[in-house]
Amino acid sequence: MSLGVARLTSVNLRKDLRLEWRSRDVFNSMLFFALLVVVVFSYVFDASAEEARRMMGGLIWIAFLFSTIMALNQSWARELRNGVLDAYRVSPAPPEALFLGKCLGNFLFVLLLECLMAPLFVIFYNLRALGNVWLLLPIFLLGTWALVVNGTFFAVMSIRTRSRELMLPLLLLPISIPAVLMMVTATSAVLTGEGSPVPQIKFLAGYCVIFTTVSFLLFDTVLNAE
Amino acid sequence: MKNRLFFLLLAVTAGLLAWGTYQALYVAPAEATMGDAQRIFYYHVPAATAASLLFWVNFVASIWYLWKRSPVADAIAVAGAEVGVVFFSVVLISGPIWARYAWGTFWVWDARLTTSLILWLLYVSYLILRKSSELGSTSVLAASLAVFAAMDMPIVYMSNRWFRTNHPQPMIGTPNLNHDMQTVLLWNMLAFCMFAILIAWFRFELERTSQTINQLHIRKAAQGVSMAMLVPIPALLSAKPAMLLLAKKAAFFGMSAMFFAHKKLTMFLLQTSGADDLAHEKLVQHHYMVAGYVAVWTIYIGYLLLLMNKLRKLHQEEREMRAS
Repeated sequence: MSLGVARLTSVNLRKDLRLEWRSRDVFNSMLFFALLVVVVFSYVFDASAEEARRMMGGLIWIAFLFSTIMALNQSWARELRNGVLDAYRVSPAPPEALFLGKCLGNFLFVLLLECLMAPLFVIFYNLRALGNVWLLLPIFLLGTWALVVNGTFFAVMSIRTRSRELMLPLLLLPISIPAVLMMVTATSAVLTGEGSPVPQIKFLAGYCVIFTTVSFLLFDTVLNAE
Repeated sequence: MKNRLFFLLLAVTAGLLAWGTYQALYVAPAEATMGDAQRIFYYHVPAATAASLLFWVNFVASIWYLWKRSPVADAIAVAGAEVGVVFFSVVLISGPIWARYAWGTFWVWDARLTTSLILWLLYVSYLILRKSSELGSTSVLAASLAVFAAMDMPIVYMSNRWFRTNHPQPMIGTPNLNHDMQTVLLWNMLAFCMFAILIAWFRFELERTSQTINQLHIRKAAQGVSMAMLVPIPALLSAKPAMLLLAKKAAFFGMSAMFFAHKKLTMFLLQTSGADDLAHEKLVQHHYMVAGYVAVWTIYIGYLLLLMNKLRKLHQEEREMRAS
């Protein structure tokens, strides 16, 4: 059974990646949106390098948060066309495989986005971390997973409502605020070199464990809500 | 039987609220530095307790719903979340009024305040989800969101201990809280919890009634008009007198509260017409107390009026169904 889940997950993941590779519409709009946020913010806060360092934690995560929301809406909207989601619901395939496949797909997209955007932040804001740069790795991995796992769950919930795309930020943001707070303070701690980000990383890890578990337990229910 | 219990509870709650209000305004000693502004405490803390209680009710009912798919559980969950949001709004409004006096600012982004605000936002998003989802799937989606929201609750409670915070630490049972103050606080806690349970009960009955009406609509659509006429609507009939009484009681309490507050304010004005610095200070403390009071009761009464409006609409719908 577990082998079946793993195989189905990889099938789902490969399908998503292939679709995205052929069209590239979601990823391109995400990337362009994040770029726009960076440019607009540089006008809004006319910041020196020293001030920029203090705000950068927040700015980076706001750009990624909003682009993630864009991607998440599209990832399920794609399944609505041609009744793919309904077909999946009537098939005997375990819903967890679908959820895990989607989560991993979105996780990879957002990570790729972050890798491409990082040099831009460094160039545009003249950024240099004063703390331990390697700690950014767990922060970004855990932070992205926290956003993506909740986001994928609430995206499937919001496409089942009347207002569809509109509902996702309304549901996702309140749940994610504690995680966003931790990502931002941890990133700022690394960039400014003031204080240790380790407690926040532990908190983020706990948050990921709790909400991944809850999402997996409830996904079946939400997918089949009638 | 159910009605009699409701009225009994109504009478007891009314008595307790009056007693609690009297205690908070007259019996509790004035706090050493904050004076009368500190009396907001007797509304702020009990409302927070009542709201947390209702959010727990919402969580348990949601789990129950996910397990058994019982419409009763769903109605309890709605009542818990909605009344909980109302009580939590009271917390979030009375808190800043007190903070303006005690800290000199309405709001600080400290851990406790931030997480409380998040909790409030979570349950508001729960209510928005209920409004905007399709009729058939509302309950399941809402129950799932409620589980997520409940996962956030421990973070709210722990935040007081994890992070450095301005917010006063929990004080019941510690030597920091004066004995008289503790007694008054506990009375108010009892009164406001009863009040919350009473309103939630009423909201629950309203929800059950609207569920019945929805069922009637479905049945009517399926079987034609004649069958629907035969189905009795008992919940509505019992809801009407109870609602009127609740509204009357709320109006009475709002007024008596304002009367108490006003009387106290006038007393101070008379005593301190000499207008030295100390008297000025006292007067200002009073403004905060009165403002907190008025804000709190405006919210409660406003919510009760909303419920009344909802009841009127349900009655109208019932009449239209019977007429058609």
